[in-house]
Amino acid sequence: MVCAGTGCVSCGSFKIKEALEKEIKAKGLAEEVQVVATGCNGFCERGPIVMVQPDGIFYQLLKLEDVPHLVEEHLLKGRPVKSLMYVPPAEKAPVPKMKDIEFFKHQRLIVLRNRGRIDPEKIEEYIAFDGYEAMGKALSGMTPAEIVDEITFSGLRGRGGAGFPTGKKWAICAKEKASPKYLICNGDEGDPGAFMDRSVLEADPHAVLEGMVIGAKAIGASKGFIYIRHEYPLALKRMEIAIRQARDNGLLGEDILGTGFNFDLEIVQGAGAFVSGEETALIASVEGHIAMPRQRPPYPAHKGLWGHPTVINNVETWATVPNIIRRGSDWFQALGTDTSKGTKIFSLVGKIANTGLVEVPMGITLREIVFGIGGGIPDNRDFKAVQIGGPSGGCLPAKMLDLPVDYESLTAAGAMMGSGGMIVMDDKTCMVDVAKYFLNFLQDESCGKCVSCREGTQRMYEIVKGITEGKGQESDLDLLEELASVCKDASMCALGQTAGNPVLTTLRYFRHEYEAHILDKRCPAGVCKALIRYVVLAEKCTGCQSCKKACPNDCIKGTLKDVHLIDQSRCIKCGACKEACKFEAIEEQREEAIQVI
Amino acid sequence: MITFRMNGLDVQAEEGSTILDAAKFYGLAIPTLCHHEGLTEFGGCRLCVVEIGEGLRTKLVSSCTYPVEEGLVVRTDSARVWKSRRMMIELMLAMAPGSKVLQDLASKYGVTKVRFTPRNEECVLCGLCTRICAEQMDAKAIGFQQRGHKRKISTPFDMRSEVCRLCGACMYVCPACQLRCQGPQAETALCNGCLTMAPSCLEHYDDLQCWMYDAGRCGTCVQEKKS
Amino acid sequence: MAGKTKLRIQDLAKIREKTKSLMTIRESEGRARVTVHMGTCGIAAGARDIMDALLEEISKANLQDVIVTTSGCAGLCNAEPMITIELKNQPPVKYGHLTPDKMRKIFVKHILGGQMATDLVLAVGSETVY
Repeated sequence: MVCAGTGCVSCGSFKIKEALEKEIKAKGLAEEVQVVATGCNGFCERGPIVMVQPDGIFYQLLKLEDVPHLVEEHLLKGRPVKSLMYVPPAEKAPVPKMKDIEFFKHQRLIVLRNRGRIDPEKIEEYIAFDGYEAMGKALSGMTPAEIVDEITFSGLRGRGGAGFPTGKKWAICAKEKASPKYLICNGDEGDPGAFMDRSVLEADPHAVLEGMVIGAKAIGASKGFIYIRHEYPLALKRMEIAIRQARDNGLLGEDILGTGFNFDLEIVQGAGAFVSGEETALIASVEGHIAMPRQRPPYPAHKGLWGHPTVINNVETWATVPNIIRRGSDWFQALGTDTSKGTKIFSLVGKIANTGLVEVPMGITLREIVFGIGGGIPDNRDFKAVQIGGPSGGCLPAKMLDLPVDYESLTAAGAMMGSGGMIVMDDKTCMVDVAKYFLNFLQDESCGKCVSCREGTQRMYEIVKGITEGKGQESDLDLLEELASVCKDASMCALGQTAGNPVLTTLRYFRHEYEAHILDKRCPAGVCKALIRYVVLAEKCTGCQSCKKACPNDCIKGTLKDVHLIDQSRCIKCGACKEACKFEAIEEQREEAIQVI
Repeated sequence: MITFRMNGLDVQAEEGSTILDAAKFYGLAIPTLCHHEGLTEFGGCRLCVVEIGEGLRTKLVSSCTYPVEEGLVVRTDSARVWKSRRMMIELMLAMAPGSKVLQDLASKYGVTKVRFTPRNEECVLCGLCTRICAEQMDAKAIGFQQRGHKRKISTPFDMRSEVCRLCGACMYVCPACQLRCQGPQAETALCNGCLTMAPSCLEHYDDLQCWMYDAGRCGTCVQEKKS
Repeated sequence: MAGKTKLRIQDLAKIREKTKSLMTIRESEGRARVTVHMGTCGIAAGARDIMDALLEEISKANLQDVIVTTSGCAGLCNAEPMITIELKNQPPVKYGHLTPDKMRKIFVKHILGGQMATDLVLAVGSETVY
């Protein structure tokens, strides 16, 4: 292939092409070797360039007199000519290697092990990387009790948020005598900013299927349901295809792998509620009722779907199971801390350089995740907080950066592992505004049964909203704390029981911000519009009238060449005046010093 | 029979009964609102919460829905329970200050301030009306709509119900409608607490449209006429 | 794999070997294997346009020996759209922050030319599977 880009042509590549064709004909190779002109490949300084395929050899800086030698040696005798080949110089900026990149090198892939390397719509590619091997082992060579034991010894804890020991849950259900028994996969993933489960369902659906078949053998279930939220159309599509392909190949349904074991799966679509991620609400939803939680006990492992023993686990938990069965509980135990074994996937988002999905061993510190893997805060801003666990979790400040990530440490700090959402915030984030955001989410998503949760979230939202609008009073903080703690205590399900967390953690670590909003009527991060004042600096104002023209609400008074004044009572804080001013004479003031008109 | 401990006493109850059943039997007063003898348990008002467990691992649960367990330790009137109960009453009063049932509860449990802006919704979403309609009257004419702060009780799609037999059971059982109260500032002899409930249909029809003239504010028929 | 065949455990091992060799450029007869990452993050960032550009270039150059496949999210979502190119006997190379134009450049330089487009490379090599 002869490069016929402008650069190479100007170096004489057409002549090279002619010479090549002539020489090839002369040596009788015209039948086997084709000379083709291609477009520019960007390597213009090394032209004329010839590439020989399929050998992948790149010749550069060719001269006419090189051609006969090249044809003789390489094309006829099959010996590439080293002296004419391109040798990359010692790179000034070396090409980055995967094993050196911070984002990738600290990760330990278990659940995400097939990431980027298989087509999820081809079952054979899943099998190519040891897929369904664990299922074969479990169905043909292990008793249900042995499977339960292996999961128990591994120390696997539910990855949906609560962290209940998976083996224990399976053991309880396995003991139940009622029949039939069911399995459910919780793919409702409602936390804002979390997309771990979506990624597993889209990229590696068979991992979940395999885990569920193994679980079915362990507890004696005959039917399973995969609950995927309606907002994940790609996940729904890929799971449908995966189930169909598994059934077609005898890996699901009757007589799986010829072992005589029967188990089938059905997909159930969610209807758009965050609360249906709560296990009893999810069961109600599968049964066709409104997604409202009910009192436990009895727990689903005893009486779940339609009153039958049911094991519900999160997508990530199910996808971990085949790895444990295939590699052994000892292998899994080797990662993590004493109480939290294995890895956890986090969706690292927010004000961070590298956003994406990270699978890390339990026990890694927040600092390593944020500043190592995450690459730190962009735009040279400072780290302020990291929100872990979604609306049920909490915001941890800089002083907690050396906290190891495991269930107990996070709960003790006032946050929660949750499903794995990790939102990083910088110094331009207002923590009161963050609390307001989550409370708004919760007041919308509360199912509405319990007064403590429904009214509690609404009233907490009202109060925090008032604080961001400058209407806060000193008594508000105590009232907020009381509301949050009662909401936690008296509510029936985990949504309500954790609904107070956004308020409680921000009060615990960022009380000074609340106080600034209430007592000083200012927002330190400069976010809460009502507490910002735009002010004209008299010494810089030239009276050019640009701000006056830009103002959409007629707030600025002033004549040509006179210092202008902003009427604070009319100002809507849009900032258009500041943008219009070419003399930097308009300032966003957050201090108490106010010019009163 | 299941044996467990309530307020320091060793008590017994039949398997399948709730903590509330046992407490009633032993004469321990636990306040309720959304509980009704003839209806299934709902567990929404959270007034009946009790503290179970020991040491650091105690938690509050609604006694009307929690089944008795062997060896359970229950405290019906701990400080934590009272703090929650008072807040529930306060929150519900802010929704329906005109309810005598709630005002009486406030007096009984020492709720002396309501720190929230009253919303005057006249409904605390306790669900008694929906349950009596479904379970005792076999009509299922009304139910919960939406969730969270948009939750309300109405007929399907806010349309006039074809199955409502106008029996009035919903009003009978409603804690906000049952007994009206003008509140602690009654200055005239005339209470007029119920005056807020005037039927709206007479502005649009020549005849009264329903038997529910006592509480015909829902305006369902009026909405239909408009549309 | 079309059709319905009921597999047995020993079949799994056979499929594994066969598919693995088809997927690895080392043993098969392809020139390159290109994976366009199409998780929701990739698609939202424009991966379908990248795929279209790639297929167009392959068709224009009349190449018969390039394997094009897709996968789910590759992990570093803010670098999407991303592709991974694997040439014979060479470690896989990831490109990120792609546009159809960059895709075409990479096609000529890397797939046709066999040389990495170093200014666009995100990383060389594979992730560590634990």
